[in-house]
Amino acid sequence: MNDDKNLQFDYRYGFSMPENYVFKARKGLDEEIVKEISFLKKEPIWMTKFRLQAYQAFKKRSLPLWGADLSSINFDDIYYYIKPLKDQKKSWQDLPKEIKETYDKIGVPEAEKKFLAGVSAQYESEVVYKNIQKELARQGVIFVDMDTGLRDYPEIVKKYFGTVVSLYDNKFASLNSAVWSGGSFVYVPSGVKVSLPLQAYFRINAQNFGQFERTLIIAEEGSYVHYLEGCLPAGQMILTSEGYKNIEAIKPGDFVYTSSGYLSKVKSTMTRNYFDYLYEVIPLSPENKFYLTKEHPVLAIKRKKVLVKRKKRFNWLEEVNTEKLIQTKPEYIEIENLEKGDFIIFPKIKDQIIEKKDIFSDELMELFGFYLAEGSAFYHQKLKQYIVSFSFSKKEKENYCRVIELIEKITEKKPNLFIDDKKNEAKISIYSKYLFDILIKNCGKYSSEKFISQEIIFQKKEKLEKLFWSYFKGDGNLSIKNKTSHLYRINTASKNLAFSIQLILNKIGIFASIGFRKGGKDKILNREIKRKNQYIIRFTMPKKWSEVRETGNYYIVPIKSLKKKKVEIPVFNIEVDGNNSYLVKGFAVHNCTAPIYTTDSLHSAVVEIIVKKGARVRYTTVQNWSKNVYNLVTKRAKVEEEATMEWIDCNLGSKITMKYPSCILTGRKAKGEVLSIAYASENQLQDAGAKMIHLASETSSRIVSKSIAGRGGRTSYRGLVHVSPNASKSSSYVSCDALILDEDSRSDTYPTMKIENKKTHIQHEATVEKIGEEKLFYLQSRGIKKSDAEGLLVNGFIEPVAKEIPLEYTIELNRLINLEMSGSVG
Amino acid sequence: MITLKNFTVKAGEKIILKNINYAFEKNKVYCLMGPNGSGKSTFAYAISGHPGYELDEKSKIYFEKQDITDLSSDKRAKKGIFLSFQTPLSLNGVNVFQLLRLALSGTKDPLKIKKEIEIFAKKLNIKKELIERSLNDGASGGEKKKLEMLQAAIINPKFLILDEVDTGVDVDALRSIGRFLDEFKKEKTIVLITHYSRILKYINPDKVLVIIDGKIQKEGTKELVKEIEDKGYGKTS
Repeated sequence: MNDDKNLQFDYRYGFSMPENYVFKARKGLDEEIVKEISFLKKEPIWMTKFRLQAYQAFKKRSLPLWGADLSSINFDDIYYYIKPLKDQKKSWQDLPKEIKETYDKIGVPEAEKKFLAGVSAQYESEVVYKNIQKELARQGVIFVDMDTGLRDYPEIVKKYFGTVVSLYDNKFASLNSAVWSGGSFVYVPSGVKVSLPLQAYFRINAQNFGQFERTLIIAEEGSYVHYLEGCLPAGQMILTSEGYKNIEAIKPGDFVYTSSGYLSKVKSTMTRNYFDYLYEVIPLSPENKFYLTKEHPVLAIKRKKVLVKRKKRFNWLEEVNTEKLIQTKPEYIEIENLEKGDFIIFPKIKDQIIEKKDIFSDELMELFGFYLAEGSAFYHQKLKQYIVSFSFSKKEKENYCRVIELIEKITEKKPNLFIDDKKNEAKISIYSKYLFDILIKNCGKYSSEKFISQEIIFQKKEKLEKLFWSYFKGDGNLSIKNKTSHLYRINTASKNLAFSIQLILNKIGIFASIGFRKGGKDKILNREIKRKNQYIIRFTMPKKWSEVRETGNYYIVPIKSLKKKKVEIPVFNIEVDGNNSYLVKGFAVHNCTAPIYTTDSLHSAVVEIIVKKGARVRYTTVQNWSKNVYNLVTKRAKVEEEATMEWIDCNLGSKITMKYPSCILTGRKAKGEVLSIAYASENQLQDAGAKMIHLASETSSRIVSKSIAGRGGRTSYRGLVHVSPNASKSSSYVSCDALILDEDSRSDTYPTMKIENKKTHIQHEATVEKIGEEKLFYLQSRGIKKSDAEGLLVNGFIEPVAKEIPLEYTIELNRLINLEMSGSVG
Repeated sequence: MITLKNFTVKAGEKIILKNINYAFEKNKVYCLMGPNGSGKSTFAYAISGHPGYELDEKSKIYFEKQDITDLSSDKRAKKGIFLSFQTPLSLNGVNVFQLLRLALSGTKDPLKIKKEIEIFAKKLNIKKELIERSLNDGASGGEKKKLEMLQAAIINPKFLILDEVDTGVDVDALRSIGRFLDEFKKEKTIVLITHYSRILKYINPDKVLVIIDGKIQKEGTKELVKEIEDKGYGKTS
């Protein structure tokens, strides 16, 4: 299999993998290749003919003379078909890794895979997928990949395929018709309303992710379906100058901690799609578990390097030599080469001031600690007073006396002490705006929302000790095992707080683990109680955990469990200045070394939708292709009597997008709608719009287009409203608004109206605005940073469309836009 | 509270405020009057840090003894300076909650902001739909000014400049605003820029300043307002 002659991939990027293909078409396209594609897919004759006809049409057709310049696409330099294996495997999971890597590396599906979605659910996805499939099957809904659709439902496919988008439609539709592979086939029977959006995420078949995918949706009479393609982010917690942040929220210019324990600047951030094993690493502290792609290097020491010749103890692995372990220099090892029992590195965080922060007094730090455990703060409406209060058990005299003392020192006021004998409670309260403000700002208000501000974390070690030990007096407990090992334990409902305390302990010089206990109903002494979710922080003193070793610069922590799981998700990575590392949940990992694709690629899909009488279909896209993709997609729906078609189309990524979702309104009272958002940044052109063809009476259409151009990007609205002579009493509303963020960016509008019936109502509105200095000043005068103000205005601008998208995608959209925005302002 | 030293402000080439030296005392209410074009709004904008106005090299603004001359407007606002706009802009797709949430992120939790919006909207007689709609979108003059007051109430600044909060406002709205301000002024320094005495029915100024031709020409008590109303700016002694 390892025959180099058959390796037809471009090795510029240093890829190398065994050849596992049965068939791979030559580069470029001719009739033979089209025939072979059809043959290898075992397609019916009509499809082969269809493909060949389309190929002829593609050859004859020239590139569009309007819109973007596409002349740099080299059609001879593309692989149009690669058949992966002798036997079609059932699912992506069954495919050997080489295939998946290849798919990645030739850049074919590069960005389409971003549409995969919800990483939060990555481990449940299979279950969810199966459940949804079951429910759909019960309703008679077909939701499969297009190749399966053609194989299993040939009559339906034959009846509709190519009827909405003709193989002659345009050069790229012809190309797609000739070489299509993958895509979705959706059939919704009469009267069936599919409640959940069908997401591209749930399509796990390999064949779905092509450059030339083909989607066909048929909604029978009175049915409803919402089809969605989009992406959701992953969430690994990275230690930054502002505490833990999700990796996808990190921007170039942010500061993150590196393996040295010091802060370093983030140079760049990357996203790619990942179809392979994802490793779950659970260290000694279970809540510090994190996920990595298989080739991601982790700072580690292999257990087998530091073993002693002694037998296993305590149901754990062979013993190691502590001296050896401490002296061994950790090295970066790919996670796939690590195993349970190997050691990973938890660097000690060093004091480092990056900007001027307040310095808190010892007393205040100590009070913060008590407040985190026992305090609350509120504004008393009737008394019009800011009140801070602490409640202790009556027994804790030492603690509450100390709190009174501290408050007196800080505020120079005497607090109230109220001892409630019935409740066994000692309550301290003080009216102090100053205390109220500082406590709320740095520690939060109520117990479950308590946090520790960055200002606090930046304090010196000695100050942090004050805070920690007073906090421990409140929320902690101590169990004495023997002379050398005391177990310290703290419970908190706040995850944030747990990680902040772990960080503070790290700075103090203590390694603490975080565990989790799920809340719920429980019985204690026959009494039902409701328990909250609890995070449990643990450490031992004076002797440290026997399994965790420390050096001057880091803790050495064993991996307790290492699991892998196949996934299909977008993954994120950051590149850091200096020593090229960052901390995931506190553990040191290297910048990922995975390749980044720089070749341009072509994505040319066709989507055909048939909406029958009284049915409604909504098709939502959140497109965030990488910025080297030509995204040339033909999307069209045939809308019959009283039916409704809604396209919601958000275009953020790609190099060039040309996309004009269309509705052909063929039946009386048919309705079409296109809501679109386009965002073009540096080197991007978003040429997007809509087409509405009114062929019957009383049809109505609505186009709302919102485009934003910044950093020299360019957006164009290109739209057509055609009202045929038969379409009496029709109406159309077009509104296209453009927002231009700076002098270098550009926006154009090309609306075309072809009205052949006088009894129609047409409305067209277009606005172009610049993001106004005055609006920015207005927001800034409220205390909002300029970049945040711009983001707010842009998100406000797209709100009319954004509100139509499911919430999780709106959040993602706002996040993407804020990400783009943050680079555009100084 | 705020001290202006050699405060000279230019818009483009034109000098609008000329070498003003003045200290606004803590927890006092000032009434700033002056003919059209005398520089009142420039005064408000320049203190809030509008980037369109240029300060002379020697100009200094101190806020609670800190030099804030070089701070951007958002940083000034964070310190506790608030400007109520003469003509508040409407913001598409951004409602007052979204604005305040961002303005107070990290200092006040969103739920509390939501609650406070309800409370103050009631106090100021602001209709519910105005709160939910894009800020100032389709709002009348009076409603816009009331929304400015609502933001002030929740941001809770130390130093407020109210640029003609009483202009374009009907009697009922004026009453709501006036009463609100009288209650709100506690522990705050307020500069009320106005042309009329009618708002002074509700809130009593400690001092009245008259700005003419870019300079503070007169300083007095409430009586000065009456004098101006009777005689105009030209003839006051």
